[in-house]
Amino acid sequence: MEDRLSIMIVDDEMIVRESFRYWFEKSGHRVDTAASGNEALEKIQGVAFDLLFVDIKMPGMSGIELLGIVKSEYPETMVIIITAFGSIESAVKAMKLGAADYLLKPFKPEHLSLVMEKVVQQRRLDSENRYLKGRLDRITRFENIIGQSEPMEVIFQMIPEIAADEASVLLSGETGTGKELIAKAIHAKSPRANKPFIAINCGAIPDSLLESELFGHQRGAFTGAHRTRKGYLEAVSGGTLFLDEVGEISFKMQVDLLRVLEEKKICRVGESRPMDVDFRLIAATSRNLEKQISRGTFREDFFYRINVISLTIPPLRERREDIPLLVDHFLEKFSNETTKHVDRATPDALALLGRYEWPGNVRELENAVERAVVLSRGRTLDVSDFAFLQTGTAGEGEARSLIEAETNHIRKILRECDGNVTHAAAVLKINRVTLHKKIKRYGLREGAGKKEKPET
Amino acid sequence: MAKSTGGRDGIAVMPVGEVPELAVKIVATHVAEAFQVPADVLPACELPRESLDARRLQYDAGRILGALERRAFAGYRKVVAVFSVDLFIPIFTHVFGEARQGGRIALVSLARLVRNVDGSVPSPAVGWTRAAKVALHEVGHLFDLPHCQDERCLMHFSGGVDDLDQTPLQFCRYCALILHDALSAPPAVSGRTEPAPDGP
Ligand SMILES: Nc1ncnc2c1ncn2[C@@H]1O[C@H](COP(=O)(O)OP(=O)(O)OP(=O)(O)O)[C@@H](O)[C@H]1O
Ligand SMILES: [Zn+2]
Ligand SMILES: [Zn+2]
Repeated sequence: MEDRLSIMIVDDEMIVRESFRYWFEKSGHRVDTAASGNEALEKIQGVAFDLLFVDIKMPGMSGIELLGIVKSEYPETMVIIITAFGSIESAVKAMKLGAADYLLKPFKPEHLSLVMEKVVQQRRLDSENRYLKGRLDRITRFENIIGQSEPMEVIFQMIPEIAADEASVLLSGETGTGKELIAKAIHAKSPRANKPFIAINCGAIPDSLLESELFGHQRGAFTGAHRTRKGYLEAVSGGTLFLDEVGEISFKMQVDLLRVLEEKKICRVGESRPMDVDFRLIAATSRNLEKQISRGTFREDFFYRINVISLTIPPLRERREDIPLLVDHFLEKFSNETTKHVDRATPDALALLGRYEWPGNVRELENAVERAVVLSRGRTLDVSDFAFLQTGTAGEGEARSLIEAETNHIRKILRECDGNVTHAAAVLKINRVTLHKKIKRYGLREGAGKKEKPET
Repeated sequence: MAKSTGGRDGIAVMPVGEVPELAVKIVATHVAEAFQVPADVLPACELPRESLDARRLQYDAGRILGALERRAFAGYRKVVAVFSVDLFIPIFTHVFGEARQGGRIALVSLARLVRNVDGSVPSPAVGWTRAAKVALHEVGHLFDLPHCQDERCLMHFSGGVDDLDQTPLQFCRYCALILHDALSAPPAVSGRTEPAPDGP
């Protein structure tokens, strides 16, 4: 039924609750009941209700008090006051406090059905308004990219322009800022949209494998090459290739890729016959490639080849206006994905999230919201639900868990290595790929602390 | 007076207290036709005394349902009880009829159906047609039909007698379809199978 509502009857008299329940069940609505204001509030914390019928006179919390709390904390929940003859005054007061209507008990059946018609109409109007508002707010959403800050608006405007072009794109931004998301949006808006989009994280693939992953190989080209295999450059045929962490590519591979970009031809490993390839390249980096060039670890010619169009995505802490929108977006996402119906964060919680540094940017925010949703017991997230964030910023002294200690240590070494993952991996005596995974998992920003002086 | 069909699919129509015989018969005829099942008229039974609310001087539909649900009505899938007295549920001033969603007993009260909104008295046939509509609506609930948005449907909720007069004597296509499914389900599912002692 299209207008199926979730209704709660709040009345201390059981017989009244039951009468309502039977009646609404006949209309196909979902009905719950509460015998007191406190019980009602507890239930509202757990599940969202469209409509509350509240008896004005109850022992303990009065209906008016309950109305006040509901209207301030869950303003979209409609409240209808039930009152006995002789208390019209309080009914009027209730209307001023935001009640949608009131009913004098006992009422004619047709009165209840009129009130319900009004409620359904009001809800239609509300959802129409939300829809219209959604259309006006379209600037806050491009494909799946959320943002209302100035830099994001500029990015939204640029995506279709970039998409129409054929030139290579370089996306720069810290980890978790949404580079891959933007690359996908560019692909989706481009004439290549119905061809493949292939994303490769160059940092996560060992160098020895990257070559055959990209170029493919001929059977027997090296030990283990039991079969001929198409590389991504071939598989992408006509689509978009997204090379994440392009700064991690070896010098040799840079030369090879540069040639591919210039000649639009490749040879599978172990084969000499070249074949044509057609793709558009979008590369991304969280490191400063110009700095790598001056250090001699990145080829200048390759850089100019991939950096025809460049787009910089600012870190989340430089566009804090986006945080509340992103929180809403992720809340919606996770309450759809899980059975939990967490649909809001308190203003205090939002303020906390707005102050936090977000070294792991949007990915870290997404993970934080997910974690809070999973752990939360009500439908509202409060400051306490984000307690785990504070430990992250509290510095390195008070790590309790192994993961925290590891996170802090990696952060420190990264800082000492000026964000260079290869160096840091060598210092940590783990391989670069593992380090990349940890950086992602813990939401660590590569190049963390560039602005700060390393502590000693 | 009861002509028994003995059919397990049948619906019983029973007057409770003093009820015009013709009214009961008209209700039974409409029920039989609308649901395509035999409808038997049972002998009248007495008003359950405890269901009279001394303050409101009306009969409590919830309590009557409770009392009737305790009776067996062996061999009947659903039961329609017809009253002349005024019925109410605690939140409402009155009800024309009452039934629980998916239940077995439906109530119909003639008290307010045999009068017009302006207080005038229509011909008995008008009142009894209204009673038939209320009965069909309530039996619809017994077969789990919810209220319908279609004003041209018996399952549309009618608050007053003039609304009721506007409602045609039929279910909309959608409700008819759900009803068809419910009726073709084996009766044991919605009917009561275990034998119970008859009456209090
Ligand atoms: N503006 C945004 N709106 C909605 N979701 C976002 C936004 N930015 C990032 N995300 C989400 O954050 C997560 C990380 O984004 P993404 O993988 O695109 O970042 P990235 O910059 O490519 O990170 P890395 O460089 O570490 O690969 C993804 O789940 C993505 O959906
Ligand atoms: Zn009904
Ligand atoms: Zn209908």
